Amino acid sequence: MSKRPDLFTSYQKEISIFPNNTQKFWFVTLLLSSIYICFIASDYWIILITNALLVSIAAWGLNIVSGLAGQINLAHGVFVGIGTYTSAVLGGVATRSVIGFEMDLLIWLPLSGIVAALIGVLISPIAVRLKGLNLGLVTLAFVFIGSHFFSNLTFITGGSGLGRKSAKLNILGIDFNSGYEIGNFLIQKNQILYLISLLVTVLLGLGVKNLVRSKTGRAFAAIRDRDIAAEALGINLFKYKATALAISCFYGGVAGALLTTTFGGVEPGTFNLLYSILFIAIVIIGGAGTVLGPLFGAFFYVLFPAIIQYVVLSSNLSEQDLLITPQQIERIIFGLFIILFLIFEPRGLWGIWFRLRNYFKAWPFSY
Amino acid sequence: MKNAVEFVNVSLNFGGVKALDDISFEVKEGSLFSIIGPNGAGKTSVFNCVNGIYRPTSGEIKIYDQEIADLKPDKIANLGVSRTFQNIELFENMTTLDNILIGAHKHINYGPVTSMLRTKKVKNQEDEARDIAEDVIDFLEIEEHRFSYILSLPYGIQKRIELGRALAMKPKVLLLDEPAAGMNNEETEDIARFILDIHEELGVTIILVDHDMNMVMDIATDVIVMDFGKKLFSGSPSDAAKDQSVIEAYLGVSD
Ligand SMILES: Nc1ncnc2c1ncn2[C@@H]1O[C@H](COP(=O)(O)OP(=O)(O)OP(=O)(O)O)[C@@H](O)[C@H]1O
Ligand SMILES: [Mg+2]
Repeated sequence: MSKRPDLFTSYQKEISIFPNNTQKFWFVTLLLSSIYICFIASDYWIILITNALLVSIAAWGLNIVSGLAGQINLAHGVFVGIGTYTSAVLGGVATRSVIGFEMDLLIWLPLSGIVAALIGVLISPIAVRLKGLNLGLVTLAFVFIGSHFFSNLTFITGGSGLGRKSAKLNILGIDFNSGYEIGNFLIQKNQILYLISLLVTVLLGLGVKNLVRSKTGRAFAAIRDRDIAAEALGINLFKYKATALAISCFYGGVAGALLTTTFGGVEPGTFNLLYSILFIAIVIIGGAGTVLGPLFGAFFYVLFPAIIQYVVLSSNLSEQDLLITPQQIERIIFGLFIILFLIFEPRGLWGIWFRLRNYFKAWPFSY
Repeated sequence: MKNAVEFVNVSLNFGGVKALDDISFEVKEGSLFSIIGPNGAGKTSVFNCVNGIYRPTSGEIKIYDQEIADLKPDKIANLGVSRTFQNIELFENMTTLDNILIGAHKHINYGPVTSMLRTKKVKNQEDEARDIAEDVIDFLEIEEHRFSYILSLPYGIQKRIELGRALAMKPKVLLLDEPAAGMNNEETEDIARFILDIHEELGVTIILVDHDMNMVMDIATDVIVMDFGKKLFSGSPSDAAKDQSVIEAYLGVSD
């Protein structure tokens, strides 16, 4: 008789990330192949996947405050912007129009998250007292206030239409801005950024996973589902809502810093309302309140247009034949997906994956 | 003996409605105190005032001699007051275990950053919280529902789980709002047995609101009777059953 793999021996094992070796195996395989990819893929794909990883981090942030703690936030993009400019100021080069301190990544990356989190804490006294529509409206106001600052603080942002350069890539005093030679092997800046993003994604992903299986994560969910009962059980609503916002902003800030560094520069108009809404869409499509959902949503959002473009380009059809551009096709399909997921699969792509996985777990005995 | 809960001339108005009208009573530590009265008498309002969901319009409420006027519900919970709700307020999309672990919230004291790092401290305290939860699960005989989602469970079991969630707080004072409502005789007997065990074995002071007169008469040590926000009677259960004003106001109406 074979052992029953689902029989656990301790509480910790029951809630461990990899309850069995199969899961550990898949995780390690995925991680190793992710590292390998950056040595074989073209620049185009490396940048695309880096982008997807970083968008995942930002989406995880929004998912913490909205998906887990149930507090709507229409201004997540503003916090991504705050992280962006913290990194650009601390790690960027000063010019005649903007300030910059050329610090190390090990300084500007954590600080980008921390500054965003602090500003989150600063506005939390307003945010924690509101819920539902009122909270939505106030966070909407933050978007406009944020946009105003971004376009007017020209010594930080470079101003509308012009923008500024991103942080430099110096780590532990080593300059990686034009690649790095190990022996006679040259590792490109893009590849380094990819690997950093991968590392940060794994670490912050673990952070989310740990959060949901902790006291803090349970308190978030309790507030989301029934705030009165949560409070009666000794959960301080203000404290936990502020905590959720702060953590969420930290993720947004870190993502913003690395996103801008990947692109090399940024224009303040980027952080408009649409940008914030985009993260909401990604969380919904991926699966709100789930750990892996935002990752799925982000990859879908970033890779889907690339695939559409690829299909359109390789089909030899011109834009005149199609009547609409690939971008338009992509927007329409993306919008359609949001609606379809809201109606048919509130748990998003994660929900679909979950069912597929359970199906194959039981395979060939599907019941 | 100490007073666990004390109401001094408490009134609570909602517009024109006097939900509580100059109510005074004392709940002695260690008693099984019951509040009865017809629909709309103000019983749930008493609970909502005790745990800080409502603020009295006038009067004083003390928990272990501490005035609670400016305490929020979570602070009052930290004084050792726990409750169940008349209409089940469980976290329906979570499992029984998660609900009960949330009940154990105040016994865990690591912070949010530690949560994310999942340090040794987190693991140890999570194990301790799980032990508390398992004790409660054992006590209420709900082992088989441990990993079930609340939505999938029958009403009677949900009521029991809500009691478990309140117990996981290890309260000094437990407020039970109609724990036997909507239950058949057998289920009511089970609940009565659990309430007695909580009172006697765990030594918890209990305030019980219920319509089931038989159960209240059987298990309560003290009773107050309310109608239209006023206190009609206070004394022992057997005296309450004989009291003329109680019979008119309450027993007459309910049957
Ligand atoms: N939040 C509120 N707003 C307005 N009126 C309220 C509110 N809460 C209670 N009331 C009113 O106060 C009175 C007492 O209500 P309460 O719920 O305390 O009664 P109860 O004794 O618990 O009744 P039941 O046996 O039906 O549960 C009722 O008239 C009720 O309508
Ligand atoms: Mg009631």
